[in-house]
Amino acid sequence: MMDAYIAKLLEAAKAAGIETAEVCFAESESFSAEAMEGRIDSYEVSATRALGIRGTVGGKMGYALTEAFDETAIDMMVNAVKESAALAEGDEQDEIFGGDAAYPELAVPENDIDRVSAEEKLALVLEMEKAAKAVDSRIEKSQGAYIATGRGSVQIVNSLGLNLKRETPLGGMVSAGVYLVGREGDSAVTGGKSKAGRKVCDLDPRQIGEEAAEETLAKLGGSPVSPGVYRAVIRRDAMRSLLATFCGVFSAENAQQKLSLLSGREGEKIASDCVTLMDDPLLPDGFASMPFDAEGSACFTKAVIDGGVLTTLLHSRKTAKKQGVATTGNASRAGVGGPVHVAPTNLFFKPGEHDLATLLSDMDDGLLITELGGLHAGANAVSGDFSLIAKGFLVVNGTCARPVEQITVAGNFYQLLKEIKAVGSDLEFLGGGIGSPSVDVGSLSVSGAGKK
Amino acid sequence: MLDRNTAAQVLERAVASGGDFAEIFLEDKRSQGLTLRSGRLESVRTNRSHGAGIRVFDGTRAIYVYTNDTGRDGLLRCAEQAAAAVAGGAGCKPVGFSPWSAARLEEIRLLPTDVKAARKAEKLRAADAAARAVSPEIVQVNCNYMDSVQDVLICNTEGVFAADTRVRSRLTVSAVASDGHENQTGSDNPGASMGFELFDERVDPEKSGRKAAEIARTMLHAENCPAGVFPVVIDGGFGGVIFHEACGHSLEATSVAYGLSEFSGKLGQQIAAPCVSAVDDGTIPGEWGSLHIDDEGMPTTRLVLIENGILTNYMIDKLGGRRMNMAPTGSGRRESYAWAPTSRMRNTYICAGHDDEAEMIATMGTGLYAKTMGGGSVNPATGEFNFAVMEGYWVEDGKIVRPVRGASLIGKGGEVLRRIDRVGRTMTMAQGMCGSASGSIPTNVGQPMIRVSSLTVGGK
Repeated sequence: MMDAYIAKLLEAAKAAGIETAEVCFAESESFSAEAMEGRIDSYEVSATRALGIRGTVGGKMGYALTEAFDETAIDMMVNAVKESAALAEGDEQDEIFGGDAAYPELAVPENDIDRVSAEEKLALVLEMEKAAKAVDSRIEKSQGAYIATGRGSVQIVNSLGLNLKRETPLGGMVSAGVYLVGREGDSAVTGGKSKAGRKVCDLDPRQIGEEAAEETLAKLGGSPVSPGVYRAVIRRDAMRSLLATFCGVFSAENAQQKLSLLSGREGEKIASDCVTLMDDPLLPDGFASMPFDAEGSACFTKAVIDGGVLTTLLHSRKTAKKQGVATTGNASRAGVGGPVHVAPTNLFFKPGEHDLATLLSDMDDGLLITELGGLHAGANAVSGDFSLIAKGFLVVNGTCARPVEQITVAGNFYQLLKEIKAVGSDLEFLGGGIGSPSVDVGSLSVSGAGKK
Repeated sequence: MLDRNTAAQVLERAVASGGDFAEIFLEDKRSQGLTLRSGRLESVRTNRSHGAGIRVFDGTRAIYVYTNDTGRDGLLRCAEQAAAAVAGGAGCKPVGFSPWSAARLEEIRLLPTDVKAARKAEKLRAADAAARAVSPEIVQVNCNYMDSVQDVLICNTEGVFAADTRVRSRLTVSAVASDGHENQTGSDNPGASMGFELFDERVDPEKSGRKAAEIARTMLHAENCPAGVFPVVIDGGFGGVIFHEACGHSLEATSVAYGLSEFSGKLGQQIAAPCVSAVDDGTIPGEWGSLHIDDEGMPTTRLVLIENGILTNYMIDKLGGRRMNMAPTGSGRRESYAWAPTSRMRNTYICAGHDDEAEMIATMGTGLYAKTMGGGSVNPATGEFNFAVMEGYWVEDGKIVRPVRGASLIGKGGEVLRRIDRVGRTMTMAQGMCGSASGSIPTNVGQPMIRVSSLTVGGK
């Protein structure tokens, strides 16, 4: 049915004088359930579709999107693309692509989303919460335990004959987690653990619950440290969120817009020797693995930083053309409508040889940062500056001596890349495309109300 | 959008297995967005969002099913999926509908869907030009215009059959100042529940452009903010984000109902300094966070949250009300049909007080004057909040001595409310997008200038 609708829309676009047109159509299905204190508290099911169209008139690109699939929507979209294209002053380089000669073939991970019944999924959530609460009486209550499954597809069809479809994410996904409140005396803390994968049967509810409890209990009794400059290791999960916040600095689009300081610095040393940053759309089992990008270009594996040297920025066809290079297959869109931008696929620091314990023992004294908060406000992707609320542990003689809370850590992402002393071996993705191992970042400025 | 017979059938089907309440939320939204970057109109995007969500309660358990397929069959299928998640509940007998429209379109002089994109683009050009004129150090200006006309129909088994049309328009300007080695940014993001008349009555694009550029330029020449514990003066407008994060979220039923908020069970108790009164008001005409009815079909309200430091009300949605055994307050909100509603803020502010703004700084000693705030976040269970200072100034011996960059403020909600020792005379509001359990929604924050006797300031 949608194939016919898409064909009709492209016909209507052509008839209205739209020179080239491309449709992006996405479908998705999701299921989630949440438990609170031993009972299923909420339950959610969805099935959604959305269609975006972009098209050129006089070489300029126009855009429209709809979630209603009727005749009115066809008229609305065709007219909107024309109005939009007539006003656009964007780049001449922005054009629709007929496709590459070949695309990589990716193994599709197997899932069990449909094989496992809703009852079994609910049972897993309850067991996870129960296991967490059973660990210790200082686990005061649950903030909720959940399971979520999702899968979808995205299809690109254009007037140059391209017709490509892929799953999003490839093989679907399932995630489950539990969040807790711990209390001991005056100290109240929250913590949790979530895991993501392809199969419900691979998730061990007892293990997730126990890890959530341990993560929470370890924070009890935390207090600030006094302001100063501290040596610091950032744990894999916190480092992942920092990389996710600043990954835009590797976008050629941002560089061309002067929103990244890496503009024109390809070939230069921008990080310490031990830093290699990969963008790998072909990563087996990766949550952002894909054979083609939002412009229909074939995807491939590359190092963005290799041994500290910036080898390439991430490009779409549009940004590549402007710079006279080839696309890196990183064209991306938020949803199905609007302009194509640039985004990483599976982006991660290539793991080193040492585990977290070794990084801490090499550091000797300092801080282990396990959580960074307020990233949407306290981190400036344009300047690279960050000043963030943080939690972690005071490390003395290479071991965690006590939990630390109510501190801020400040630094600059560009500077941090240069000062990295070691990259750990514990790479983790946490259900997304961006991943990191734990990293010894040298030193950070810390503020807090602790006594000297 | 939906005829009464079909609605009644869908609701009946939804409670057929024992659900004791069912609701349909149907939405059709037309929106347009324009982006001007590097002085060029990069894109004009026209969107039509369309879908429905069906919610069933089984006591305090909530089931939510949503789809874009809003025909009779699609809705019945959703109702069946929702009913399948309930087995043998209390059940309910749907009440006959009392249809009404809450829309007040007569208040909108220029419906955005009737305005050509070219006119919208002119506003972006004006903001861009004004920002660039501030200084040659302004290397990039990113201007966005967005509007939306959202038709909603909300009906439920308690007889609600309410329609509304929500119109919103907003301009965002973000400027980057650079000396080639360092970048700093500034922004201004005014908006309202208004049509295109926004630009005649409330928003001057040139003023927004200048403001964003001036912040960026000032911060480019600022030193790093010292780190430590200091008195902090926070200006009005977006400064109100401190109350939004430090207290507002912790007064939402979402966390209070589960005993997960530091303010659970504290109604009638002193939770803030006596100079602090605060309100969440969804009824102010034209304001960014205002609503005629909430997303559960209930007329919106003005709610006094704190009066002279004493906690007087929580913000409660329908499900939260069931969990807390209290009446809902017209605070049920959601980003779209793709989200089940929950208790959220509307226009939330600290009320004007009696203190002199100049005296506040003159007597603060050494500390931080946070003139323009960035965003923030909070963990309601522990009250730990953080937020970023976009434009800050260092104060020594009661005198503003230099601009400082990179500051963030952290603390715990209850503590900071008790440490407010000055509240200025003029309350102003600013617009934001608040992200939480039911998605990203428009909210206003606001306050007069206030002083907090001590806060942890992050910097280097």
